[in-house]
Amino acid sequence: MAQHDTTRPVRTLGAISLGTAFLVALTGCTSSKGSTGSAEAGITVGTTDQVTALDPAGSWDAGSGTIESEVYATLLSVRNGATEVSPDLATGIELTGPKEYTVTLKKGLKFANGHELTSSDVKFSFDRTLKIADENGPSSLLYDLDSVAAPAPTTIVFTLKSANDTLFPQVLSTAAGYIVDEQVFPADKILDDKSIVAGKPWNGPYGVRSYDKNSLVSFTANSAYGGGLGAAKTKNIQLKYYTDASNLKLDVQQGTVDAVYRTLTTADLDDLSKKKDIKVHTGSGNGIRYIVFDFRTQPYGTKTKKPDKAKALAVRKAVADSVDRAQLAQQVYKNSYQPLYSSVPDGLTGATASFKSLYGDKKGGPDQAAAAARLKAAKVATPVTLSLQYNSDHYGSSSADEYALVKSQLEATGLFKVNLQSTEWTQYGKDRVKHLYPLYQLGWYADYLDADNYLSPFYSANSWVANDYSDPAVRELIKKEETETDTARRAELLKQAQDKAAASVPLLPLLQGSTAIVTRTDVSGVPDELSSAYQFRWAGLAKK
Amino acid sequence: MSTLTQDVPAAAPAGGAAGYGLTRYLVVRFLLIIPTVLVLVSLVFFLMRATGDPISAAFGDRLTPDQLQAKLHQAAYDRPLLTQYLDYLRSLTTGDFGHTVTDNQPVTHVLGTYGAATAELAINALVVALVVGVPLGLVAAAHRDRAPDAALRLFAVLTYATPVFFVGLLLKLVFAIRLGWLPASGRASTDVQLFLQDQSSTTGLYLIDALRSGDGAAVVDVLKHAVLPAVALGLLVAGIILRLVRTNLIGTLSADYVEAARSRGVSPLRLITRHAARPALIPVVTVLGLQVAGLLGGAVLTETTFEWKGLGYELAHYLTVRDFPAVQGIVALFAVVVAVTNFLVDILAALIDPRVRY
Repeated sequence: MAQHDTTRPVRTLGAISLGTAFLVALTGCTSSKGSTGSAEAGITVGTTDQVTALDPAGSWDAGSGTIESEVYATLLSVRNGATEVSPDLATGIELTGPKEYTVTLKKGLKFANGHELTSSDVKFSFDRTLKIADENGPSSLLYDLDSVAAPAPTTIVFTLKSANDTLFPQVLSTAAGYIVDEQVFPADKILDDKSIVAGKPWNGPYGVRSYDKNSLVSFTANSAYGGGLGAAKTKNIQLKYYTDASNLKLDVQQGTVDAVYRTLTTADLDDLSKKKDIKVHTGSGNGIRYIVFDFRTQPYGTKTKKPDKAKALAVRKAVADSVDRAQLAQQVYKNSYQPLYSSVPDGLTGATASFKSLYGDKKGGPDQAAAAARLKAAKVATPVTLSLQYNSDHYGSSSADEYALVKSQLEATGLFKVNLQSTEWTQYGKDRVKHLYPLYQLGWYADYLDADNYLSPFYSANSWVANDYSDPAVRELIKKEETETDTARRAELLKQAQDKAAASVPLLPLLQGSTAIVTRTDVSGVPDELSSAYQFRWAGLAKK
Repeated sequence: MSTLTQDVPAAAPAGGAAGYGLTRYLVVRFLLIIPTVLVLVSLVFFLMRATGDPISAAFGDRLTPDQLQAKLHQAAYDRPLLTQYLDYLRSLTTGDFGHTVTDNQPVTHVLGTYGAATAELAINALVVALVVGVPLGLVAAAHRDRAPDAALRLFAVLTYATPVFFVGLLLKLVFAIRLGWLPASGRASTDVQLFLQDQSSTTGLYLIDALRSGDGAAVVDVLKHAVLPAVALGLLVAGIILRLVRTNLIGTLSADYVEAARSRGVSPLRLITRHAARPALIPVVTVLGLQVAGLLGGAVLTETTFEWKGLGYELAHYLTVRDFPAVQGIVALFAVVVAVTNFLVDILAALIDPRVRY
């Protein structure tokens, strides 16, 4: 009986299927030529941030702020490289009474939808932010605003709660100062993103052309913009969102993305800085990183078994003597962050490096002998056990390396034994204000570029840090500088406040840095060195 | 037919069909969807609440105790857990999934916006699984107990034993980074994405939208972006299909009724397509249905690996910020999809093989 080859048809079919699979794969690998884009080519910015909301009354986060700062304008704004406010939608601002600022609006201002922008919109904007007081919004910045009046179409009068508030003009340049269209936004509730985009209430340099939330947003230059930043150099900008920073890094490397603003890892930044067609822009920046001492639970703190103010202070000072900021900046952050010797970043008016002259080798470096001498003088038994907490998901992926190095620096002195722990941000935020962490990591970005914004949140009565540090003399100095109109005198008061606080070490400044910006080399408009006053704005971006 | 005596894995045990008609069988299967979905959504509901409340998670460090309490009251998170649970089930029955806590969007909007992307990825992955699994299964069967067979069986084991994100990263490393043939992430290039967004009506399925636009470059671009995620996810299932096809074909090709057909002079190709393939593919259909749950699970990792903005991607995001309504809504949808798919598979299996009556 003849044997049939039962496998032959199977082989034939298998070969056909394999051929099909190969063809499908080949189709996928075919290069496409020509642009399908309906918009003319522009610049694509990549980010790992997320948008909370497009309504400025309902958001106050970096992701939302990136868009809002381009599509909404403020009465006053801070130009790149400057720390002082200057007119944007306004022509000027005047202190017309102890508690009264009068702002004059430019004439003929319009929103992108054609609606006129008048003092009525300005009053509406501030009133609704205060009325809604959304927990995600910036209404807390308007703490000193009592009322707003619009006596004429181009005149706005702000009445404040306290006299001689020199910081209020700065507040007008923040997220709390965005002007919105009263014909689009409701007075008493947050407007959803879709309705905002449909209403085209843009008065900033750009307007949103299409909006796919946290995926892809396209912008086009707003011809109706009448503010002080000038016309945008690039007509179309796209903002592309990523979850995985490595994908973002890859896309900027391959040219799919032209610029990256927030946030690549230190390792990725270091790698990209070696590529010839990529430019990594870093600088002193205005973000700070620091360690907080909880006065209740730190060694010898007020709620410990052996409370002792003198010993507690000696421990804080000895820690300040022992940290090597330069090593942290170089080894962990590849110098994308720089050593910080005050809670006020270097470069801001009134900043002074108090910790440099007071601790360590008095030149910015550590000094183990000085630390040992302090502890010995205060009769503190060594090694001192420190429970140090850091956050695993809020301050970047390098936090673990940063705090591992802090631990090793402290333990290398032989004076400390460090128990290092990390906690997720959601829990961290709750635990730290319950005084569960004796020493812990925090970071800060200013709401507005003024030294006061690096002092008041930490040392005033309603301190954000809430570590039980309280020094009436420091508070008095802060109160004085907030109402001092003479610039030189104010700078002196700021310096005194920093020196006085540094003497008690309620917190230990470690590093200051900018959010690194990565661009392809054919993109201009971002300076090589990012100063503490630099803000990433798209109007100046251009592509060769 | 007396020749149909070989063991077909999906078939019911002998006598299982007694007293059951197709309609009754399908009604029972359909009713099983309800407890399946209920168990899953209940599990997610209680597990999420075991981690705390979403208001504290989202705004805990920015609210005073009074504000937090007011927020909790407003969102009804201060009510007894059982009351919350019953309210949740009641709202589910009316199709109200609530609003996301962190970005205040209707959950139904999230499901609608990102569901299409996940569906597209799952379909692409199934295509890859079939295109890879079936032919390789045929090849393995053709070379039974020889080197190609052994190699393909090893390949099958590796594909479903290797984590999907690892396969994804490997594919990205080779085809996107080293060779530069394919894009590393996203569903389309920026200009194509904008172009598709500008179309008057869109389905959310990029390939369909690109085809409808009639723009060849857009179609190619979308296909290029689809390859790596689809392969990474599809290989999960491809190995299983490969083994099934191999095993079943070996069985059916040596069955009496196939030999009888061959002796009647039926052509080799027709022998496969008309006689051997059908019984061999019944378990493949069943397994494909069962793999939907695996595909959705894999989609979470695949979507985050490739920045494929679908429900898996969003689920990962909302999990990290502990947005209860969003997570519950997405999981509920996943549960319904899995349950309904299994029901459809039951229908299909019953139609293909009349002996399947449980």
